[in-house]
Amino acid sequence: MTPSRWAERAALPVAVAGTLLVIAVVFYYPVATVFSEAVVDAGRLTLDPLLSVLGDPFYTGVAHHLFVDPAGVPAGVLAWVDAGAPSVGGGLFGFTAYQAALSMLASVALGLPGAYILARYDFRGRETVRSLTIVPFVLPSIMVAVGFLAMFGRTGALNGLLGAVGLGPVEVVFSLEAIVIAHAFYNAPLVIRLVATAWESVDRRQVESARAMGASPLRAFLDVVVPAIRPALLTAALLTFVFTFLSFPIVLALGGLELATVEVWVYARVQALDLSEAATLATLETLVSLVLMYLYLRYEGRQRATTGGGRSLPRKPLTTGWATLRSPVRLALAGYVVVAAVVFLGPLVSLLLESVTAPDGSLTTAYYEFLLAQQASTAVGTARPLPAVLNSLVYGAGTLLLAVPMGVVVAVVATRGGRGSRLAEAVLSAPLAVSGIVVGLGLLQTVVFGTVLFGYRLTAAGPVAVVCAHAAAAYPFVTRNVAPALGGLDSRYHDAARSLGASRLRALLDVELRLVAAAVLAGAAFAFAISVGEFDSTVLLAEGTDSYTMPVALERYVGNRSLGPNLGPATAMGTVLLAVTGLSFVAIDRLGGRWEP
Amino acid sequence: MTGVTLKDVSVAFGGVPALADVSLSVGDGEFFTLVGPSGCGKTTTLRTVAGFETPDTGAVEIGGEDVAGRPPERRNIGIVFQNYALFPHMTVRENVAYGLRFRDPPGGVSTDRRVDELLELVDMPAVGGRDPEELSGGQQQRVALARALAPGPDVLLLDEPLSALDARLRERLRVVVRSLQQELGITTLYVTHDQAEALAVSDRVAVIADGRVEQVGPPEAVYREPATRFVAEFVGDNNLFEATVGRGDPPQVTVDGRTLVLPGLDLAPGANALLSVRPEALTVDPDGATGPTLEATVETSEFLGDAYRLHCQWGDRTLLVKTTGGAPPGGTVTLGIDPERVTIVDRGEDT
Repeated sequence: MTPSRWAERAALPVAVAGTLLVIAVVFYYPVATVFSEAVVDAGRLTLDPLLSVLGDPFYTGVAHHLFVDPAGVPAGVLAWVDAGAPSVGGGLFGFTAYQAALSMLASVALGLPGAYILARYDFRGRETVRSLTIVPFVLPSIMVAVGFLAMFGRTGALNGLLGAVGLGPVEVVFSLEAIVIAHAFYNAPLVIRLVATAWESVDRRQVESARAMGASPLRAFLDVVVPAIRPALLTAALLTFVFTFLSFPIVLALGGLELATVEVWVYARVQALDLSEAATLATLETLVSLVLMYLYLRYEGRQRATTGGGRSLPRKPLTTGWATLRSPVRLALAGYVVVAAVVFLGPLVSLLLESVTAPDGSLTTAYYEFLLAQQASTAVGTARPLPAVLNSLVYGAGTLLLAVPMGVVVAVVATRGGRGSRLAEAVLSAPLAVSGIVVGLGLLQTVVFGTVLFGYRLTAAGPVAVVCAHAAAAYPFVTRNVAPALGGLDSRYHDAARSLGASRLRALLDVELRLVAAAVLAGAAFAFAISVGEFDSTVLLAEGTDSYTMPVALERYVGNRSLGPNLGPATAMGTVLLAVTGLSFVAIDRLGGRWEP
Repeated sequence: MTGVTLKDVSVAFGGVPALADVSLSVGDGEFFTLVGPSGCGKTTTLRTVAGFETPDTGAVEIGGEDVAGRPPERRNIGIVFQNYALFPHMTVRENVAYGLRFRDPPGGVSTDRRVDELLELVDMPAVGGRDPEELSGGQQQRVALARALAPGPDVLLLDEPLSALDARLRERLRVVVRSLQQELGITTLYVTHDQAEALAVSDRVAVIADGRVEQVGPPEAVYREPATRFVAEFVGDNNLFEATVGRGDPPQVTVDGRTLVLPGLDLAPGANALLSVRPEALTVDPDGATGPTLEATVETSEFLGDAYRLHCQWGDRTLLVKTTGGAPPGGTVTLGIDPERVTIVDRGEDT
């Protein structure tokens, strides 16, 4: 065998091994380190940290009795019933689940009518609206939170409007409602996307058969359409619950420590340098989300059934001129469109307006000038604006270099079938169930503080750790774009190339990857947007260093009003973020990018 | 040039056998066709020769050399698929030239020259700069053929190359493929589910069913002397008689409770034989009948252009009859059997 042929045969296994190593370094090893912190004390396995958290009413509320005094639970339940079943506290975990459940309901309520409109009505810009539902995945959540502050805050757009008509002010920020609405902003589009797709895949002949056999339109809907969209709805609801259970920047910015979730509390513990308790909390939190993700994958595995290739249900025009006003259904839908516009556009428009509005209401560019200034302030913890912008761009580029090859290699393995593809599937799903805080905490402990290997302490600077964290968050998006494109390729392209003399590697490079180039670019745009918007792990890794990014600076500006009485600098930074991620979205959309979890 | 041999090849997918002990031998320069219903294993056989599937047991030899462990790119084969599989991101020219990146053009000519020659050969000289999608299906298939032949392969593998085309084009292109093959003298393994196509183009045909070889032989032999019930039913129209052989001379056979006298058949008394009577071996209202006859009722009459195909009710079963003259449905006809053209598929002596 010639050396070049040998190199070609070795290239793919080497790439796979390298990718697995990188994934282990940037994700599995750090996360495992966090978990081991929770169950290892002075070199011994112990359940003490877990039990002490579970037995603390602050964390688990009324459920702490289960861990402290299980024998007394039946008697306690009886006493509670005797007392007339008063409401009980659920502790930090209870509250986190409670807000996740509310967020899930709100997302479904906001998403279902949208899915109905997209699936069953025709109107101008329908395809645009459809592709816009992918936007939340590239919008930095801290920026959205600032948008909500700009809309609902005491000096925000909503109170400005109310004040103009002599009402208000109302206090919506720092309330559960604000958190739930912001979560709906994020997750209702997921509901819309998944449910509308399922709704459109209903073969109209099935409904027509039901009607021909005597079913009323309502019965046909209940018997044919509902069973077809139920799996998508359950999937969307479950994912929404997991995402909002782990939600961090929105709760941090809109709720603060008064309305803290587990995730925010983990962050607070890390800031207080109580790493062991943070690790324990993070472990319990991840257990919950892993169980939910496992249920989701089990459920999804059973659901991947036949979707008929028939024509979908016919679409009606959404507006019918003046007759629209006489149709109660269309009037209700119009009402929905108004609500959706407020929820989805309100925060973004408020963000843009606030960034150019001085406290006295006049137009100003002062906040944007601030971004270009090498701000002289030496106040501790205040981020300087220009380095933040530059850091974000540099880390984004670094993430591309790492995440795109990783994502492509995993996609190649995932589409090859067999044991490798099942492993790849698991490798891809796990990051969804592990929060950015946990990854950040793990990287802080392994990469920044260093790892002892062969007697040497290996450490890396903050920026390296940040890029690692971003790559861990971003590569699944690359794979999710590339794998379906690769899987959808006719395998005979590969076979034809091989029969013509191309090695496996050459066939991959000459033919398959060329044919999915658009998907690779879409994945790259996703990866860049994820990196630029990443907050959860960056905020931990940038703590006390110069490696802060735009989202981290944004959060510091929200907290530091010494820069001005209103959100000005934060909204200006937010607008830049919006522009960068918006451009990424345009690139993703043009390249036919997708994201189905 | 090169022959291809399969020795006791078995392939299973996830425990389900796709090929069971298949042994075939394709001669040097031969046009050899694998024919069978979909899922019978004919494409698996071709992919095993190409190296895309690995036999669980048995061996594949190309040019007398065992090619076990040799990947497809080093078997010096050319392959053409049903859906053409032309690379959409390359022009027609680049497609044909692709294989020449890995193998030198035969005859020491330049790559450019070789591509021109091949496009000329498939009668597509002016399309080099076009994208494959701009071509019709038939044109794409010609380009695919040129691409497969460009590096000068030892063996040409054709996997249902004409099945995506409409009937008329299919018949025209199969003549092109056959004459190209004869011109180049290249060993060719051809896979099709269309038995008529298989009979039309091949030197020899292998009929495959359920992962097993049912019969191998020249098209005429496979048609006229089917070796198994499957071959008799799959290749061409047929009437199969399960006949019980009586004791007498000439032997009488009983079919569905009716007795026929079939002189000249070498059958052992008491055997349960399977006989094949092609529709063209039956004649309607024979004059001066010398052979056996039977009475049947015409059910339907299909006009085929050059002939009629009658579906005639005889007892509980339908007989197919090919005649040059029609017959009115509902009428009774006398069908004469040409004893010379009755074939024994199974002597049934061991029962």
